[in-house]
Amino acid sequence: MKRIVVSWAVLGAAALLVAFAPLPQSARAPTERLFRVEAGDFAYSPAVLHVNPGDEVTIQLVSTDVVHGLYVDGYDLRMSADPGQSATLTFTADQPGSFRLRCSVTCGALHPFMTGKLQVGSNFLLWRGVGLAFLALFGLLFFRQPSPNTDH
Amino acid sequence: MKETFARIFAVVLILGGTFTIGFAWWFGRLDSITLHARMPEAGGWMPGDLTIAINQPLRLRLTSDDVMHGFAIGQSGQPAVDVKPGEIADITLNFDQPGTYTFYCTRWCGANHWRMRGTITVTGDAPEQTVTPPLYAQLGLDIDAPREAETVSEEQPSALRGRKLFDQLSITNLPTYLSPDYYRSHSPEQAWQDLRDDPELGSYSDQQLWNAVAYIWGSNTTPEALSIARELYAQNCAACHGESGGGDGVFSGEQVNIQDEAGGMSSGHQIVSPADFTNPEQILSAAPALLQGKIIRGGMGTGMPMWGVIFTEDQTWALVSYLYTFQFEEVPK
Amino acid sequence: MNILRYPLIKSLLKNRWPQFTIMVVALAGFLVAILSGLFGTPVGSRNFGIVFVWIAWWALLMLVAVPFLGRGWCSICPIPAPGEWLQRGNLLGPDDINHRDHGENKKKNSVFSVRSVVKPHNRRWPNRFRNIWLQNGTFLLVALFSTVILTQPKVTAIVLAAFLFVAVGASLVFERRAFCRYLCPVGGFIGLYSQLAPVEVRVVDTAVCKAHTEKTCYTGSADGYGCPWDVFPPGMVKNTYCGTCMECLRTCPHDNIAINIRSFGADLSVERVRKMDEAYKAFIMLGAAAVYSTVLLGPWGTLKLAAYSVGSLPWLAYAASFLTLILLALPGLFWLMIWTGIQLSGSALPTKKLFIAQSYALVPLGLSAWVAFSLSFVFANFSYVLAALSDPFGWGWNLIGTAGIGWTPWLTSLTPFLQVGVLLGGFLWAAITSRKIASENTINTLAMKLSAPVIIFCLTFTLILMGLLVA
Repeated sequence: MKRIVVSWAVLGAAALLVAFAPLPQSARAPTERLFRVEAGDFAYSPAVLHVNPGDEVTIQLVSTDVVHGLYVDGYDLRMSADPGQSATLTFTADQPGSFRLRCSVTCGALHPFMTGKLQVGSNFLLWRGVGLAFLALFGLLFFRQPSPNTDH
Repeated sequence: MKETFARIFAVVLILGGTFTIGFAWWFGRLDSITLHARMPEAGGWMPGDLTIAINQPLRLRLTSDDVMHGFAIGQSGQPAVDVKPGEIADITLNFDQPGTYTFYCTRWCGANHWRMRGTITVTGDAPEQTVTPPLYAQLGLDIDAPREAETVSEEQPSALRGRKLFDQLSITNLPTYLSPDYYRSHSPEQAWQDLRDDPELGSYSDQQLWNAVAYIWGSNTTPEALSIARELYAQNCAACHGESGGGDGVFSGEQVNIQDEAGGMSSGHQIVSPADFTNPEQILSAAPALLQGKIIRGGMGTGMPMWGVIFTEDQTWALVSYLYTFQFEEVPK
Repeated sequence: MNILRYPLIKSLLKNRWPQFTIMVVALAGFLVAILSGLFGTPVGSRNFGIVFVWIAWWALLMLVAVPFLGRGWCSICPIPAPGEWLQRGNLLGPDDINHRDHGENKKKNSVFSVRSVVKPHNRRWPNRFRNIWLQNGTFLLVALFSTVILTQPKVTAIVLAAFLFVAVGASLVFERRAFCRYLCPVGGFIGLYSQLAPVEVRVVDTAVCKAHTEKTCYTGSADGYGCPWDVFPPGMVKNTYCGTCMECLRTCPHDNIAINIRSFGADLSVERVRKMDEAYKAFIMLGAAAVYSTVLLGPWGTLKLAAYSVGSLPWLAYAASFLTLILLALPGLFWLMIWTGIQLSGSALPTKKLFIAQSYALVPLGLSAWVAFSLSFVFANFSYVLAALSDPFGWGWNLIGTAGIGWTPWLTSLTPFLQVGVLLGGFLWAAITSRKIASENTINTLAMKLSAPVIIFCLTFTLILMGLLVA
């Protein structure tokens, strides 16, 4: 019994560690980054923008069919561009993580599903999630827990 | 008793609701026309032709059925109205002159955006108006003839340096060269040739004379005109001709002739890429009257729209002068 | 704990008026959705039909109703209402003196009588279709066209109207709620996931039922109708087919019906009545959640267009891969996991039995996937609901002054955290369920080996979904 308690305590502590331990972002010196993002046919191209935390990011939005917009989750920034009138947006990527880009101007039937991604540094949320999932797997496979159905 | 009450409740809520919605729909249409905007491939403006008597207010409820569109009336000073998907923009128009007006879409909604036009016919008696033929017709220019400048400048001609040159000069023909009539009817190449042939200018280098030409072109426009033109260019031209004039706009490869697509009256024309305004051979050989003609008439068989019913004459001339700024440096912008 | 102990809750549920009122209001809303789809703006994000069905209702269903109330939505769903009223000849309870089969003469002279117009046949639903295979089919049918249904108001309206039409038809031809029970594409998965809900309708004491010869809960009485869902309450061991319509509460003369608050997922450990059709429902839902997360929420425009251009070659390819994944690849892979588990543990149980039993572990996994998927777009687009309330048809109305509210995403910085939490919770729940199911007929050490491949399957699925939704 005591062993089980200890095991669970260790597992719990590990879970807390994976979930909340501060992780260092890469210490790369911030630079300026320019992305020319073409918007058309309910997609952004490139659809995924990788930057490092602290980078000065400029997005040049070029619409190739109808008026499109671009909204950045988490940063709460938005812009829009007509074909022939590209727009630019500059901001400092000071929040690390993965953020969806969403079209903010109704551009046809599939408009609500027109998305892209801004990836600032490492996606720690994902890695923590993966870590916790494996920790759970470990707990499930290697701890013998009394099951309520063993008396069958 | 309870059952009867339940039935009344259900019937009142459901039929009453439906009836209210129907009534509201009918009532909303009483004194206005709902003008639906759709991408040209889906039908463009619906209805496309409107008729109203002179001095009768025309109330339009504008709505888009797909993407962002805009509404404006050609050659009028009225600002464009955005026509947003699923929303209603309520406008009232008044016409005090009879005639046919063109309304058009002001936000790019696909490669065929410029085909999205409709007409408003205003009925009533009007004094007979004389129509002046456009300058290119008066001059007898064939605006479809192939042309290519034989002489071009080695460096980009500078209006500023051209101006310094003109300040030092006191030649007899100076007022002629600077006059609007001369500017409009001559291509930069012709103007340069005239200057080269002018015996009084024999001591100046070719490049200096190109600078002089740039100055003549710059002096026939104003910063205000260029700023209006820059906006017109961005809104109406850049999607095909490119934001930097290189003929490489987002739709440059997509101007397919609708008639060809439909398999109907095929014009037999090749798809012509949009003009490259940064190409000196093309632009330096074109007189402003010729460019004006192209703009107002449109290029038959190419994707170039007819802008004559949209732009005012001043706007067209401003746009023409703006096109040369892709060639000439330091034009007062 | 039986919440019917509280007199207020009991009288609210037993009385027909609250349920009836909600149903009528929901029906009115449903008709407005059809009308706005047909006659309103074709722009989905500004059309009541699209916005209310696919954002407001969907959020309510997947984030609240199903996880916490199971079939709670079914108890107030307006789709079967008109058919049921015609079938019963009444909107509220049965007539005081006669009920069901004997009520025909009573109202003959009344113009208001529904029976003077239509005569229900009350046939029995054919035996071979007394399962959810048809529902699996109808769900897949809707799912294949979902990208169009989700975005085109007219198509949504036609689908909704078709539901209503089929539901009325089924009520007139067959007895009870044949549509809900055997045809409704939504009802199938609500039933599957209602096994997880922390609420259940059960009898208090089956001995009381044994002594009660009339079985009014199934046959009906002057106080209510026999179970519309064709369920015999004393025999009920899981939520799947109980529509929580409260009729048995009204018809039981012995006050023997309970609504219990219970632990989440209690039905999953019910060994009896595990069936292949339900197992397949679990695969279909799991696969659909993954496909939608890829197609609708991913950054791949080509995929979106393929799923949207119904009838074209790319769409056929999409449809074929969708069906292959859901009907063959996922179950096949799962079968492999079961086989591996058998090899590891040396279990003597038949593979098919284990396959069906273990697939119930996919129920919590699937629900968490659907919740996580829904979280990505429900809050981001919830502002459309406010605008559509003011201007349901896109005709320029402004009923409550919110028509001008533009698109404003809500909580989008929070949703990824919620999604990771939900997915992890789902995995843990699925894994524990798999372990429990494995140990039903096996000793603990072997059960661990038996379920290990299934747990790996669940982990892989969770990681894939996490990658799709928050990476």
